[in-house]
Amino acid sequence: MPLKGGGLERKSKASDQIPSSSLADIAFLLLIFFMVTTVFRTEADRPIEWPEAEATQQIDETRDNIMYIWVERNGDVWINDRLVPMENVSELVAPRWVESGRRLRISLRADAEVPYRFVDAVQREIQQAGAIYVVFATDLERRMMRERR
Amino acid sequence: MAILNKKSKISDEIPSASMADIAFLLLIFFLVTTVFPKDRGLPIVLPEEQEEVEISQRNILHITINPDGSVGVRRGDSQNESFHRPHQIQQVWRTEVSQNPNLIAGVRTHPEAAHRYMVQVLDALQMANAERISLQMGEG
Repeated sequence: MPLKGGGLERKSKASDQIPSSSLADIAFLLLIFFMVTTVFRTEADRPIEWPEAEATQQIDETRDNIMYIWVERNGDVWINDRLVPMENVSELVAPRWVESGRRLRISLRADAEVPYRFVDAVQREIQQAGAIYVVFATDLERRMMRERR
Repeated sequence: MAILNKKSKISDEIPSASMADIAFLLLIFFLVTTVFPKDRGLPIVLPEEQEEVEISQRNILHITINPDGSVGVRRGDSQNESFHRPHQIQQVWRTEVSQNPNLIAGVRTHPEAAHRYMVQVLDALQMANAERISLQMGEG
């Protein structure tokens, strides 16, 4: 059977338009992804300069079992948006430690420039409350930055 | 009965033409409000209170962090202290631990030294796979 027009005029049957019928599905997929991953802020960040470390790792514990203690440059301690005197820190940590079934991780978010005595004092308070898992919150340091130092 | 037979012209279906718009609106709302948690750092396990362990001086590597950021390293059974930058501790630790696998890092930070230096030393130790680290505060 001879081809029509010698096969030169045959048109492609594939559409040259991007299929848009799945657009809504893609939108819903993204919608559900963001709905599931959304965490509404429970407490505001304090203005601190984050220390940097190459060995930074993710805390493998659920958000409910992580407690944040902020230590500002002048030594002020903030927990749950409130300024807490140093000697009261253990009273706040102890109930959370018991509640979490001895799994509580404390993310110690101390300013890079704060004198170590404040960080040590917070550690003592944490120990007094019985908690033992502490994470010094850091930003991941890239090797390039280290070379420059 | 003309009145009873008259059919309503209003559709009994929920209008679906705007569904995509609603989905996009929600999508943009969640895109904007999403905060990915930034829970990361250097983990360490503190000793429980009143938990004191006697360690032979032979197995301790004393690491002293000074307020200017210099780091002194001294073996427990020696008097010689050498000074390094915080990130050099990684190499120092690797060398020392190859000679004594039971070594414990005793990190003693000066009260006025910046938290940054302690984190840098801890980082170097963790990069060198040190597991037994003790954090203390030095005398002012």
